[in-house]
Amino acid sequence: MHFTEGRIIQLILEPAGMVSAWITCPIAALPAPGRFSLANVRDGWEAVLPTAVFSGGVSDEGFLAVGNLPPSWLPGVTLQLRGPLGRGFRLAGGERRLALAACGETARRLMPLAEEAARSGADVAWFSDLALPHMPAEYELNPLRALPDALTWADFLALDLPLKRLLELRAWLGQSGSAGRLRLPCPAQALIHAPVPCGGIADCGVCAVPGRRGWMRACQDGPVFDLEDLAW
Amino acid sequence: MPKFDFGFDPPLMNAAGILGFAPNPRYKRLWSRLGAFVTNPISFHPRLPVQGTRYISFGVGFLLHTGHPNPGIQAALRRYAPAWARSELPVIVHLLPQDPAEAAQMARRLEGLENVIGVELGLPLGIEKEAARSMMTAAMGELPVMARLPFNSAVELAPAAAEVGVSAVSLGPPRGILADEDGKLVEGRLYGSAVFPFAASVARQLVSFGIPVVAAGGVYREQGIRLFQEMGAMAVQLDAWLWLI
Repeated sequence: MHFTEGRIIQLILEPAGMVSAWITCPIAALPAPGRFSLANVRDGWEAVLPTAVFSGGVSDEGFLAVGNLPPSWLPGVTLQLRGPLGRGFRLAGGERRLALAACGETARRLMPLAEEAARSGADVAWFSDLALPHMPAEYELNPLRALPDALTWADFLALDLPLKRLLELRAWLGQSGSAGRLRLPCPAQALIHAPVPCGGIADCGVCAVPGRRGWMRACQDGPVFDLEDLAW
Repeated sequence: MPKFDFGFDPPLMNAAGILGFAPNPRYKRLWSRLGAFVTNPISFHPRLPVQGTRYISFGVGFLLHTGHPNPGIQAALRRYAPAWARSELPVIVHLLPQDPAEAAQMARRLEGLENVIGVELGLPLGIEKEAARSMMTAAMGELPVMARLPFNSAVELAPAAAEVGVSAVSLGPPRGILADEDGKLVEGRLYGSAVFPFAASVARQLVSFGIPVVAAGGVYREQGIRLFQEMGAMAVQLDAWLWLI
Protein backbone atom coordinates (compact mmCIF):
# COMPACT_ATOMS: atom_id res chain seq x y z
CA MET A 1 0.00 0.00 0.00
CA HIS A 2 1.23 3.44 -0.84
CA PHE A 3 0.36 6.30 1.49
CA THR A 4 0.96 9.98 1.00
CA GLU A 5 -0.01 13.00 3.01
CA GLY A 6 -2.44 15.70 2.03
CA ARG A 7 -3.67 18.85 3.69
CA ILE A 8 -7.08 20.50 3.43
CA ILE A 9 -6.70 24.13 2.43
CA GLN A 10 -10.23 25.16 1.49
CA LEU A 11 -13.80 23.90 1.67
CA ILE A 12 -16.26 24.55 -1.16
CA LEU A 13 -20.01 24.50 -0.62
CA GLU A 14 -21.53 23.01 -3.75
CA PRO A 15 -24.90 24.06 -5.21
CA ALA A 16 -26.60 20.87 -4.08
CA GLY A 17 -25.39 21.33 -0.49
CA MET A 18 -22.45 18.97 -0.74
CA VAL A 19 -19.06 20.05 0.52
CA SER A 20 -15.87 19.53 -1.46
CA ALA A 21 -12.34 20.21 -0.24
CA TRP A 22 -9.21 21.45 -1.94
CA ILE A 23 -6.38 19.21 -0.80
CA THR A 24 -2.70 19.84 -1.38
CA CYS A 25 -0.74 16.68 -2.07
CA PRO A 26 2.15 15.30 -4.14
CA ILE A 27 1.49 15.09 -7.88
CA ALA A 28 1.66 11.29 -7.75
CA ALA A 29 -1.38 11.29 -5.46
CA LEU A 30 -3.66 13.18 -7.87
CA PRO A 31 -6.51 10.90 -8.95
CA ALA A 32 -7.05 10.82 -12.72
CA PRO A 33 -10.67 11.32 -13.85
CA GLY A 34 -12.79 8.50 -12.42
CA ARG A 35 -10.10 7.10 -10.13
CA PHE A 36 -10.29 7.59 -6.37
CA SER A 37 -8.15 7.87 -3.26
CA LEU A 38 -8.98 6.80 0.25
CA ALA A 39 -8.44 9.57 2.77
CA ASN A 40 -8.64 9.69 6.53
CA VAL A 41 -7.54 11.85 9.40
CA ARG A 42 -4.77 9.76 10.88
CA ASP A 43 -5.58 8.73 14.46
CA GLY A 44 -8.69 10.86 14.45
CA TRP A 45 -11.74 9.43 16.17
CA GLU A 46 -13.55 9.18 12.88
CA ALA A 47 -10.74 7.09 11.44
CA VAL A 48 -12.90 3.97 11.53
CA LEU A 49 -12.77 3.94 7.76
CA PRO A 50 -11.28 6.17 5.13
CA THR A 51 -13.43 8.26 2.83
CA ALA A 52 -13.32 7.65 -0.92
CA VAL A 53 -12.57 10.91 -2.70
CA PHE A 54 -12.60 11.65 -6.42
CA SER A 55 -11.04 14.56 -8.21
CA GLY A 56 -13.37 17.40 -9.12
CA GLY A 57 -10.52 19.46 -10.54
CA VAL A 58 -6.78 19.87 -10.23
CA SER A 59 -4.47 22.77 -9.49
CA ASP A 60 -0.71 23.14 -9.28
CA GLU A 61 -0.84 22.10 -5.65
CA GLY A 62 -3.45 19.40 -5.44
CA PHE A 63 -7.02 18.47 -6.26
CA LEU A 64 -10.61 19.23 -5.33
CA ALA A 65 -11.73 16.21 -3.30
CA VAL A 66 -15.31 15.19 -4.01
CA GLY A 67 -17.07 12.65 -1.84
CA ASN A 68 -19.09 12.24 1.31
CA LEU A 69 -16.66 14.26 3.41
CA PRO A 70 -16.76 13.92 7.22
CA PRO A 71 -17.65 17.10 9.14
CA SER A 72 -14.28 17.00 10.91
CA TRP A 73 -12.48 17.74 7.65
CA LEU A 74 -11.65 21.39 8.09
CA PRO A 75 -9.00 23.62 6.56
CA GLY A 76 -5.62 22.84 8.09
CA VAL A 77 -6.40 19.20 8.77
CA THR A 78 -3.77 16.72 7.58
CA LEU A 79 -4.99 13.60 5.79
CA GLN A 80 -3.49 10.25 5.04
CA LEU A 81 -4.13 9.39 1.39
CA ARG A 82 -4.03 5.94 -0.19
CA GLY A 83 -4.21 5.88 -3.93
CA PRO A 84 -5.02 6.69 -6.63
CA LEU A 85 -6.99 3.47 -6.86
CA GLY A 86 -9.28 1.76 -9.32
CA ARG A 87 -9.78 2.19 -13.05
CA GLY A 88 -10.76 5.62 -14.32
CA PHE A 89 -12.14 6.84 -17.61
CA ARG A 90 -10.31 5.45 -20.62
CA LEU A 91 -10.74 7.52 -23.73
CA ALA A 92 -9.37 6.26 -26.99
CA GLY A 93 -7.95 9.69 -27.81
CA GLY A 94 -9.07 12.04 -30.53
CA GLU A 95 -12.67 12.32 -29.28
CA ARG A 96 -14.29 15.46 -30.69
CA ARG A 97 -17.77 15.41 -29.12
CA LEU A 98 -17.99 14.43 -25.47
CA ALA A 99 -21.36 13.93 -23.76
CA LEU A 100 -21.35 13.93 -19.97
CA ALA A 101 -24.34 12.80 -17.92
CA ALA A 102 -24.41 13.43 -14.17
CA CYS A 103 -27.16 11.25 -12.71
CA GLY A 104 -25.98 11.17 -9.10
CA GLU A 105 -25.74 13.87 -6.46
CA THR A 106 -23.00 15.95 -8.11
CA ALA A 107 -21.50 16.70 -11.49
CA ARG A 108 -18.08 17.43 -10.03
CA ARG A 109 -16.61 13.98 -10.62
CA LEU A 110 -16.98 14.41 -14.38
CA MET A 111 -15.51 17.90 -14.53
CA PRO A 112 -11.84 16.89 -14.87
CA LEU A 113 -12.81 14.78 -17.87
CA ALA A 114 -14.66 17.71 -19.41
CA GLU A 115 -11.69 19.99 -18.84
CA GLU A 116 -9.30 17.52 -20.45
CA ALA A 117 -11.55 17.15 -23.47
CA ALA A 118 -12.10 20.89 -23.84
CA ARG A 119 -8.35 21.53 -23.66
CA SER A 120 -7.86 19.19 -26.58
CA GLY A 121 -10.48 21.08 -28.59
CA ALA A 122 -13.45 18.75 -28.16
CA ASP A 123 -17.02 19.97 -27.83
CA VAL A 124 -18.54 19.20 -24.44
CA ALA A 125 -22.24 18.78 -23.70
CA TRP A 126 -23.61 18.17 -20.21
CA PHE A 127 -26.83 16.34 -19.41
CA SER A 128 -28.10 16.66 -15.87
CA ASP A 129 -31.01 17.78 -13.73
CA LEU A 130 -28.66 18.89 -10.93
CA ALA A 131 -27.86 22.45 -9.96
CA LEU A 132 -24.48 22.56 -11.65
CA PRO A 133 -21.40 24.39 -10.37
CA HIS A 134 -20.00 27.24 -12.42
CA MET A 135 -19.15 25.97 -15.89
CA PRO A 136 -17.17 27.51 -18.75
CA ALA A 137 -19.42 29.23 -21.28
CA GLU A 138 -18.38 26.92 -24.11
CA TYR A 139 -20.03 23.91 -22.46
CA GLU A 140 -23.53 23.10 -23.64
CA LEU A 141 -25.95 22.37 -20.77
CA ASN A 142 -28.98 20.14 -21.22
CA PRO A 143 -31.56 18.43 -19.03
CA LEU A 144 -31.18 14.70 -18.51
CA ARG A 145 -34.24 13.98 -20.67
CA ALA A 146 -32.26 15.18 -23.68
CA LEU A 147 -29.67 12.44 -23.20
CA PRO A 148 -31.04 10.08 -25.91
CA ASP A 149 -30.38 12.83 -28.48
CA ALA A 150 -26.75 12.94 -27.41
CA LEU A 151 -26.19 9.38 -28.50
CA THR A 152 -26.28 10.27 -32.17
CA TRP A 153 -24.13 13.37 -31.67
CA ALA A 154 -21.41 12.26 -29.26
CA ASP A 155 -18.39 10.14 -30.04
CA PHE A 156 -17.99 9.35 -26.33
CA LEU A 157 -20.45 9.25 -23.45
CA ALA A 158 -19.36 9.45 -19.82
CA LEU A 159 -21.88 8.90 -17.05
CA ASP A 160 -21.79 9.33 -13.30
CA LEU A 161 -24.45 7.44 -11.38
CA PRO A 162 -25.12 5.60 -8.13
CA LEU A 163 -25.21 1.83 -8.32
CA LYS A 164 -28.81 1.75 -7.13
CA ARG A 165 -29.87 3.77 -10.18
CA LEU A 166 -28.14 1.54 -12.71
CA LEU A 167 -31.41 0.02 -13.80
CA GLU A 168 -32.80 3.48 -14.62
CA LEU A 169 -30.11 3.90 -17.22
CA ARG A 170 -32.16 2.24 -19.90
CA ALA A 171 -34.88 4.86 -19.55
CA TRP A 172 -32.39 7.73 -19.40
CA LEU A 173 -30.77 6.54 -22.58
CA GLY A 174 -34.08 5.83 -24.28
CA GLN A 175 -33.15 2.21 -24.87
CA SER A 176 -35.38 -0.82 -24.87
CA GLY A 177 -34.96 -4.50 -25.53
CA SER A 178 -33.26 -7.32 -23.70
CA ALA A 179 -30.07 -6.56 -21.84
CA GLY A 180 -27.87 -8.53 -24.19
CA ARG A 181 -29.09 -6.61 -27.22
CA LEU A 182 -28.59 -3.05 -26.05
CA ARG A 183 -26.09 -1.37 -28.30
CA LEU A 184 -25.13 2.28 -28.08
CA PRO A 185 -23.91 4.13 -31.16
CA CYS A 186 -20.82 5.47 -29.34
CA PRO A 187 -18.44 4.18 -26.69
CA ALA A 188 -19.81 4.81 -23.21
CA GLN A 189 -18.35 4.47 -19.75
CA ALA A 190 -19.99 4.92 -16.37
CA LEU A 191 -18.52 5.94 -13.05
CA ILE A 192 -20.56 3.84 -10.64
CA HIS A 193 -20.88 5.02 -7.06
CA ALA A 194 -20.61 2.05 -4.76
CA PRO A 195 -19.02 2.04 -1.34
CA VAL A 196 -15.36 1.10 -1.61
CA PRO A 197 -14.32 1.11 2.05
CA CYS A 198 -11.41 -1.31 1.69
CA GLY A 199 -10.02 0.09 -1.55
CA GLY A 200 -9.61 -3.39 -3.00
CA ILE A 201 -7.83 -5.09 -0.10
CA ALA A 202 -10.67 -7.23 1.14
CA ASP A 203 -12.28 -8.67 -1.99
CA CYS A 204 -15.37 -8.61 0.20
CA GLY A 205 -18.15 -7.96 -2.28
CA VAL A 206 -19.39 -4.74 -0.69
CA CYS A 207 -18.90 -2.90 -3.96
CA ALA A 208 -20.13 -5.67 -6.26
CA VAL A 209 -21.60 -4.35 -9.51
CA PRO A 210 -23.71 -6.55 -11.79
CA GLY A 211 -21.98 -7.29 -15.05
CA ARG A 212 -23.10 -9.11 -18.18
CA ARG A 213 -20.64 -11.89 -17.40
CA GLY A 214 -21.10 -11.96 -13.62
CA TRP A 215 -20.31 -9.69 -10.74
CA MET A 216 -17.53 -7.13 -10.90
CA ARG A 217 -15.90 -5.09 -8.14
CA ALA A 218 -16.04 -1.31 -8.22
CA CYS A 219 -12.85 -1.14 -6.13
CA GLN A 220 -10.71 -3.07 -8.60
CA ASP A 221 -12.56 -3.59 -11.87
CA GLY A 222 -14.01 -0.06 -11.70
CA PRO A 223 -15.32 2.28 -10.49
CA VAL A 224 -15.47 3.28 -14.17
CA PHE A 225 -16.90 0.51 -16.35
CA ASP A 226 -17.55 0.16 -20.03
CA LEU A 227 -21.32 0.32 -20.31
CA GLU A 228 -21.31 -2.76 -22.53
CA ASP A 229 -19.86 -4.78 -19.63
CA LEU A 230 -22.57 -3.79 -17.15
CA ALA A 231 -25.94 -5.47 -16.70
CA TRP A 232 -28.52 -2.70 -17.10
CA MET B 1 -2.62 -21.51 30.63
CA PRO B 2 -4.20 -23.57 27.81
CA LYS B 3 -2.02 -24.93 25.01
CA PHE B 4 -2.32 -22.96 21.77
CA ASP B 5 -1.91 -25.08 18.63
CA PHE B 6 -1.66 -22.11 16.29
CA GLY B 7 1.93 -21.18 16.98
CA PHE B 8 2.94 -18.07 15.05
CA ASP B 9 4.56 -14.83 15.89
CA PRO B 10 3.47 -12.10 16.36
CA PRO B 11 0.18 -13.48 17.72
CA LEU B 12 -1.83 -11.31 15.37
CA MET B 13 -3.89 -12.14 12.32
CA ASN B 14 -6.53 -10.51 10.20
CA ALA B 15 -10.18 -11.30 10.72
CA ALA B 16 -11.82 -13.27 7.91
CA GLY B 17 -13.22 -11.03 5.20
CA ILE B 18 -10.69 -8.26 5.69
CA LEU B 19 -7.72 -9.10 3.46
CA GLY B 20 -9.14 -11.26 0.71
CA PHE B 21 -8.79 -14.91 -0.20
CA ALA B 22 -5.02 -14.99 -0.47
CA PRO B 23 -2.20 -12.68 0.59
CA ASN B 24 -1.80 -10.03 -2.08
CA PRO B 25 1.84 -9.03 -2.63
CA ARG B 26 0.68 -5.41 -3.15
CA TYR B 27 -0.05 -5.17 0.56
CA LYS B 28 3.18 -6.72 1.72
CA ARG B 29 3.78 -3.99 4.27
CA LEU B 30 0.98 -5.51 6.34
CA TRP B 31 2.69 -8.89 6.59
CA SER B 32 5.32 -7.72 9.05
CA ARG B 33 2.52 -6.82 11.46
CA LEU B 34 0.80 -10.19 11.27
CA GLY B 35 1.75 -13.72 12.26
CA ALA B 36 -0.85 -15.48 10.10
CA PHE B 37 -3.28 -14.80 7.26
CA VAL B 38 -6.96 -15.74 7.54
CA THR B 39 -8.80 -16.14 4.24
CA ASN B 40 -12.18 -14.71 3.41
CA PRO B 41 -15.00 -17.12 4.27
CA ILE B 42 -15.26 -20.01 1.81
CA SER B 43 -18.46 -22.01 1.54
CA PHE B 44 -19.09 -25.42 0.04
CA HIS B 45 -21.03 -24.00 -2.90
CA PRO B 46 -20.34 -20.66 -4.62
CA ARG B 47 -22.12 -17.65 -3.13
CA LEU B 48 -23.07 -14.40 -4.84
CA PRO B 49 -23.12 -10.92 -3.29
CA VAL B 50 -26.45 -9.95 -1.77
CA GLN B 51 -28.58 -7.42 -3.58
CA GLY B 52 -29.29 -4.02 -2.08
CA THR B 53 -27.43 -2.01 0.52
CA ARG B 54 -24.28 -3.71 1.69
CA TYR B 55 -22.56 -0.94 3.64
CA ILE B 56 -23.87 1.62 6.10
CA SER B 57 -21.63 3.93 8.10
CA PHE B 58 -22.71 5.00 11.56
CA GLY B 59 -19.97 7.40 12.55
CA VAL B 60 -17.84 5.35 14.92
CA GLY B 61 -18.46 2.16 13.02
CA PHE B 62 -20.04 0.58 10.02
CA LEU B 63 -22.30 -2.27 9.03
CA LEU B 64 -21.48 -4.76 6.28
CA HIS B 65 -23.97 -7.08 4.68
CA THR B 66 -22.32 -8.83 1.77
CA GLY B 67 -23.55 -12.42 1.83
CA HIS B 68 -19.90 -13.54 1.93
CA PRO B 69 -19.56 -13.95 -1.84
CA ASN B 70 -17.00 -16.59 -2.72
CA PRO B 71 -16.37 -19.13 -5.47
CA GLY B 72 -17.00 -22.22 -3.31
CA ILE B 73 -14.37 -24.60 -1.97
CA GLN B 74 -13.57 -26.34 -5.23
CA ALA B 75 -12.84 -23.19 -7.22
CA ALA B 76 -11.22 -21.52 -4.22
CA LEU B 77 -8.67 -24.30 -3.91
CA ARG B 78 -7.93 -24.12 -7.61
CA ARG B 79 -7.56 -20.34 -7.56
CA TYR B 80 -5.91 -19.68 -4.23
CA ALA B 81 -4.02 -22.76 -2.99
CA PRO B 82 -0.94 -21.86 -5.09
CA ALA B 83 -0.88 -18.40 -3.51
CA TRP B 84 -1.34 -19.89 -0.06
CA ALA B 85 1.68 -22.12 -0.71
CA ARG B 86 3.78 -19.15 -1.79
CA SER B 87 2.66 -16.92 1.07
CA GLU B 88 5.22 -15.58 3.50
CA LEU B 89 2.56 -15.90 6.19
CA PRO B 90 1.07 -19.21 7.30
CA VAL B 91 -2.53 -19.45 6.15
CA ILE B 92 -5.67 -20.27 8.12
CA VAL B 93 -8.60 -21.05 5.85
CA HIS B 94 -11.96 -19.79 7.03
CA LEU B 95 -14.68 -22.30 6.20
CA LEU B 96 -18.37 -21.49 6.10
CA PRO B 97 -20.20 -24.85 6.03
CA GLN B 98 -23.95 -25.20 6.34
CA ASP B 99 -23.90 -28.57 8.06
CA PRO B 100 -21.47 -31.12 9.58
CA ALA B 101 -21.14 -33.06 6.33
CA GLU B 102 -19.96 -29.97 4.50
CA ALA B 103 -17.64 -29.10 7.39
CA ALA B 104 -16.03 -32.53 7.25
CA GLN B 105 -15.61 -32.56 3.48
CA MET B 106 -14.18 -29.07 3.34
CA ALA B 107 -11.76 -29.59 6.20
CA ARG B 108 -10.46 -32.82 4.67
CA ARG B 109 -9.74 -31.06 1.40
CA LEU B 110 -7.43 -28.65 3.17
CA GLU B 111 -5.30 -31.34 4.75
CA GLY B 112 -1.87 -31.58 3.24
CA LEU B 113 -2.03 -28.23 1.49
CA GLU B 114 1.28 -26.46 1.70
CA ASN B 115 1.44 -23.62 4.23
CA VAL B 116 -2.14 -24.11 5.44
CA ILE B 117 -1.77 -24.39 9.20
CA GLY B 118 -5.37 -24.59 10.29
CA VAL B 119 -9.05 -24.04 9.81
CA GLU B 120 -11.24 -21.31 11.16
CA LEU B 121 -14.72 -22.75 11.30
CA GLY B 122 -17.39 -20.09 10.98
CA LEU B 123 -20.40 -21.30 12.96
CA PRO B 124 -23.68 -20.07 11.47
CA LEU B 125 -25.75 -17.49 13.26
CA GLY B 126 -28.32 -18.89 15.61
CA ILE B 127 -26.79 -22.34 15.68
CA GLU B 128 -27.88 -24.47 18.63
CA LYS B 129 -25.34 -25.93 21.02
CA GLU B 130 -25.72 -29.53 19.81
CA ALA B 131 -25.54 -28.55 16.17
CA ALA B 132 -22.43 -26.52 16.91
CA ARG B 133 -20.89 -29.49 18.65
CA SER B 134 -21.57 -31.69 15.61
CA MET B 135 -20.16 -29.09 13.24
CA MET B 136 -16.98 -28.66 15.25
CA THR B 137 -16.49 -32.40 15.67
CA ALA B 138 -16.93 -32.91 11.93
CA ALA B 139 -14.31 -30.30 11.09
CA MET B 140 -11.67 -31.81 13.32
CA GLY B 141 -8.99 -33.83 11.60
CA GLU B 142 -5.34 -33.33 10.90
CA LEU B 143 -5.49 -29.55 11.01
CA PRO B 144 -6.09 -27.53 14.16
CA VAL B 145 -9.56 -26.02 14.24
CA MET B 146 -10.40 -22.58 15.52
CA ALA B 147 -14.14 -22.24 15.97
CA ARG B 148 -15.43 -18.76 15.22
CA LEU B 149 -18.33 -18.26 17.55
CA PRO B 150 -21.20 -15.96 16.65
CA PHE B 151 -20.84 -12.91 18.87
CA ASN B 152 -24.30 -13.04 20.36
CA SER B 153 -24.08 -16.68 21.42
CA ALA B 154 -20.33 -17.01 21.98
CA VAL B 155 -20.51 -17.48 25.74
CA GLU B 156 -23.29 -20.01 25.38
CA LEU B 157 -21.38 -22.06 22.79
CA ALA B 158 -17.92 -21.88 24.39
CA PRO B 159 -18.41 -24.87 26.74
CA ALA B 160 -19.28 -27.05 23.73
CA ALA B 161 -16.11 -25.88 22.00
CA ALA B 162 -14.10 -26.78 25.09
CA GLU B 163 -15.71 -30.22 25.33
CA VAL B 164 -15.14 -31.01 21.68
CA GLY B 165 -11.52 -29.97 22.05
CA VAL B 166 -11.11 -27.41 19.29
CA SER B 167 -7.72 -25.76 19.33
CA ALA B 168 -9.10 -22.27 19.89
CA VAL B 169 -12.19 -20.13 19.66
CA SER B 170 -12.40 -16.81 17.93
CA LEU B 171 -15.12 -14.23 18.03
CA GLY B 172 -17.23 -13.18 15.09
CA PRO B 173 -18.35 -9.58 14.70
CA PRO B 174 -21.55 -8.53 16.48
CA ARG B 175 -24.60 -8.05 14.32
CA GLY B 176 -26.94 -5.15 14.25
CA ILE B 177 -29.58 -3.38 12.21
CA LEU B 178 -29.41 0.05 10.64
CA ALA B 179 -31.60 1.90 8.16
CA ASP B 180 -30.10 2.67 4.79
CA GLU B 181 -30.60 6.02 3.05
CA ASP B 182 -33.95 4.86 1.71
CA GLY B 183 -35.11 3.92 5.22
CA LYS B 184 -34.89 0.19 4.58
CA LEU B 185 -33.63 -1.84 7.53
CA VAL B 186 -30.45 -3.77 6.85
CA GLU B 187 -29.01 -6.41 9.17
CA GLY B 188 -25.31 -7.11 9.08
CA ARG B 189 -21.95 -7.36 10.75
CA LEU B 190 -20.76 -4.42 12.80
CA TYR B 191 -17.21 -3.10 12.77
CA GLY B 192 -15.45 -0.10 14.18
CA SER B 193 -13.98 1.14 17.43
CA ALA B 194 -17.43 1.22 19.05
CA VAL B 195 -17.38 -2.58 19.00
CA PHE B 196 -14.31 -2.90 21.23
CA PRO B 197 -15.88 -2.60 24.71
CA PHE B 198 -18.49 -5.25 23.84
CA ALA B 199 -15.88 -7.55 22.32
CA ALA B 200 -13.62 -7.13 25.34
CA SER B 201 -16.44 -8.11 27.66
CA VAL B 202 -17.21 -11.28 25.70
CA ALA B 203 -13.52 -12.15 25.25
CA ARG B 204 -12.96 -12.01 29.00
CA GLN B 205 -15.82 -14.42 29.58
CA LEU B 206 -14.48 -16.79 26.90
CA VAL B 207 -11.05 -16.85 28.52
CA SER B 208 -12.66 -18.02 31.75
CA PHE B 209 -13.64 -21.30 30.07
CA GLY B 210 -9.99 -22.31 29.86
CA ILE B 211 -9.83 -22.61 26.07
CA PRO B 212 -7.41 -20.64 23.91
CA VAL B 213 -9.17 -17.47 22.79
CA VAL B 214 -8.42 -15.46 19.69
CA ALA B 215 -9.99 -12.13 20.55
CA ALA B 216 -11.44 -9.88 17.89
CA GLY B 217 -13.52 -6.79 17.46
CA GLY B 218 -12.99 -3.08 17.38
CA VAL B 219 -9.20 -2.95 17.63
CA TYR B 220 -8.08 0.38 16.19
CA ARG B 221 -5.18 1.04 18.55
CA GLU B 222 -2.17 -0.93 19.79
CA GLN B 223 -3.73 -0.46 23.20
CA GLY B 224 -6.65 -2.68 22.17
CA ILE B 225 -4.28 -5.51 21.31
CA ARG B 226 -2.54 -5.18 24.66
CA LEU B 227 -5.82 -5.16 26.55
CA PHE B 228 -7.01 -8.35 24.86
CA GLN B 229 -3.65 -10.00 25.63
CA GLU B 230 -3.76 -8.89 29.25
CA MET B 231 -7.17 -10.54 29.51
CA GLY B 232 -5.56 -13.80 28.47
CA ALA B 233 -6.26 -13.92 24.74
CA MET B 234 -3.71 -16.08 22.92
CA ALA B 235 -3.95 -14.02 19.77
CA VAL B 236 -5.87 -11.11 18.37
CA GLN B 237 -7.62 -10.65 15.05
CA LEU B 238 -7.57 -7.23 13.43
CA ASP B 239 -10.28 -6.09 11.09
CA ALA B 240 -10.81 -2.84 9.20
CA TRP B 241 -7.92 -1.15 11.02
CA LEU B 242 -5.76 -3.03 8.53
CA TRP B 243 -7.31 -0.92 5.76
CA LEU B 244 -5.85 2.17 7.39
CA ILE B 245 -2.32 1.18 8.40
